[in-house]
Amino acid sequence: MTDIQADLARPLTLARATPAARERGTFTVLPWLYLTPALVLLMVWTYIPLVEAFQLSFYQWNMLPTAPQRFVGLRNYQRLMALPEMRNALWNTLYYILGLFPMSVIIPLFVAIWTQDLTGRARMIYRALIFVPMIVAPVVAAILWRWLLNEDQGLITLGLEGLGLGRIGFLTDPKYALATLTWITGWKLIGFSTLLFSAANAGINPSYIEAARIDGASRWGIIRDIRLPLLSPTILLLSMMTILFGAQWSFAYINVLTNGGPLKSTTNIFYLLWEYGFQTMSAGWSSAAGMIAFAGFAVIAAGCMWLMKRYAVYDN
Amino acid sequence: MLRRTTLKLMATLTAASMLPFGALAEMPATVEKPVTISFYNYNLASASAGADATRELLAAFEKKFPNVKVETVAVPSNEIINRVQADIVAGKQPDVAQLTFRDLIFIANDLGGNPLEDMVKPDELKAHLRGMFAKGLELGKVDGKTYGLAYTFSTPILYYNADLFKQAGLDPENPPKTWADIDIAGKAIKEKTGRNGFFPGAYGPSDGTFVYQAIVMSNGGRVREGNKLTFADQNAAEAVKAMRDMVGSGAHAKIDPASATDTFAAGNLGMFLYTTATLSSFKKAAAGKFDLRLAPMPSFGEKPTAPTNSGSALFVFSKDPAKQRASYELLKFLTSKEAYTVITTKIGYLPLRLDIVDDPNYLGAWVKDNPMFRANLEQLNRLTPNVAFPGPNYRQVEKMMMDSVREAVFGSGDPVATLKAAQVQGQDLMP
Repeated sequence: MTDIQADLARPLTLARATPAARERGTFTVLPWLYLTPALVLLMVWTYIPLVEAFQLSFYQWNMLPTAPQRFVGLRNYQRLMALPEMRNALWNTLYYILGLFPMSVIIPLFVAIWTQDLTGRARMIYRALIFVPMIVAPVVAAILWRWLLNEDQGLITLGLEGLGLGRIGFLTDPKYALATLTWITGWKLIGFSTLLFSAANAGINPSYIEAARIDGASRWGIIRDIRLPLLSPTILLLSMMTILFGAQWSFAYINVLTNGGPLKSTTNIFYLLWEYGFQTMSAGWSSAAGMIAFAGFAVIAAGCMWLMKRYAVYDN
Repeated sequence: MLRRTTLKLMATLTAASMLPFGALAEMPATVEKPVTISFYNYNLASASAGADATRELLAAFEKKFPNVKVETVAVPSNEIINRVQADIVAGKQPDVAQLTFRDLIFIANDLGGNPLEDMVKPDELKAHLRGMFAKGLELGKVDGKTYGLAYTFSTPILYYNADLFKQAGLDPENPPKTWADIDIAGKAIKEKTGRNGFFPGAYGPSDGTFVYQAIVMSNGGRVREGNKLTFADQNAAEAVKAMRDMVGSGAHAKIDPASATDTFAAGNLGMFLYTTATLSSFKKAAAGKFDLRLAPMPSFGEKPTAPTNSGSALFVFSKDPAKQRASYELLKFLTSKEAYTVITTKIGYLPLRLDIVDDPNYLGAWVKDNPMFRANLEQLNRLTPNVAFPGPNYRQVEKMMMDSVREAVFGSGDPVATLKAAQVQGQDLMP
């Protein structure tokens, strides 16, 4: 493939005449050599494990080299599909993704646009405040929230009680726990998304805005017709990241705060497959759950890519 | 069976290859040359009195055996078996590990733990085991051989906050004896003080199954009979239903099971059924804040209680004879009269050498000062072994069981139906 393209790319006469071109033809090994480190890493860390996980998903094995791997065919998949906790985990995964949207896309988008007009120190302070949760380590953040939301001594719980709302078991009541964890995951993301949107927003050519102002466009008009379309690649990128990775980002908080409980209300597909693999040492179930998640997200990712190509506006 | 034989063969071969003459690996009688052994321990991973006491014991051991250096690996109790397994897989052979009884069958059949009978000369082993609590020793056996040497033991015990009892108009001198009493006392505490009434340390991620099994067995239930799961059968299910009813009445708290110990230590829980391993930590937390008391675990009416053991045994994995000797010396030291004196007074575990309880050289004075500890000692006579699950899927079966128990106690569906559904699912994974 590369040869054909290279030949077509330059005049045929020239290609035949110069010996350098023939040398270049034999030296195509060189680009591959440059690519080798990246390809090896990709193979070792992504594709080989993927193939192995696919294989393992048809076996029953407790991850001990001395223990035999027993071929069970599709039984791991059948069992998982029959388990209510699997369905529950898939619904929760969807909930996490939808719940994260306001905090990973909508709020940051508007914060970025509105803080654009702030000047000097005010903007710095405002953005720093928004960015701080991002740099707090996930486990530390989880523990801080555990204290804030503790049912007996937590500042937030006591505050709400003072307001006459009664005590809410943010982490212990199945009704609220999922929303609480979604909020904590999203709270950590606001800073990151705001940063990306601010950078994209600052990169918009000011002459468009000036021209629009001269034409008498209102502030909202500028946002709607210039800023939002030019921000669309970033909006779509962050939406895609939220859909594909959002539920994964909640892992640390689930692990520290609820372990998937109360009553499995906060578990999602990623936590579940980790639990199968490393808590109950069932490589087969874990791999099968992993393959189900992989297949599902591959389809979604393809859909997102298509949407991005279709709707993103690039300023070239 | 075949697997174990192969494994043993492999272990023997490895050990034999280390010897100059290819002779059968026999442990030397003493530690002659300097040797380093690893010790996987979960008490060290806690931020409680357990870590300090273990460090103290290890320092004393190294002083007594200057040739032996103990490298400790601290891992929390719910993860330690995974760590030992991971290290074996990675080729990092552990020497001694403190592991829980729930993994016993797996350790013996799959992980290649050394049976003491194969490692130590019969006379020497007999001399050391003399005076140790016989029921405890039985618990570490698989097929008649001792894989785990009983080390730290405790039974579930009822901790209660006497100050909350007084505020609720209850008599702290007369603690609840039956579950019906718990229900009354729990409700009174909840209603009169606004704090939480009762909670068992049975649902948390690091609680294992022992408090739950103690409750079930006190009602005559069992979690399995042979390879048949029975945790949804009548007596077992009734015990769980009793908990659910108390959740309904308000006596049984609805708190985060992972932080029940903190809730009790903070004085926000009236009664807490849990291992005595946390006694020292609770004593520290309660000092100057509330009046901490202990009582035996409650019973179902007139039925005798069946306190199960929480706790751990010491397992030896060393393949090298010199290390085996050093490891065995560590085992002997950690289960000696001196060690149990430290373990009982500084952590709160039971002394597995009962002859030291009234011996003034060892525990005599301490037990006199801490009469409440007698409640724990009394339960030792009725100790019922915690039931471990067999087969390659034992962890999943256990998880299904505990998930269904949590759902039955805190959920909204019919508790018995919930347990039944899980039992059917779990049975499919039993050998």
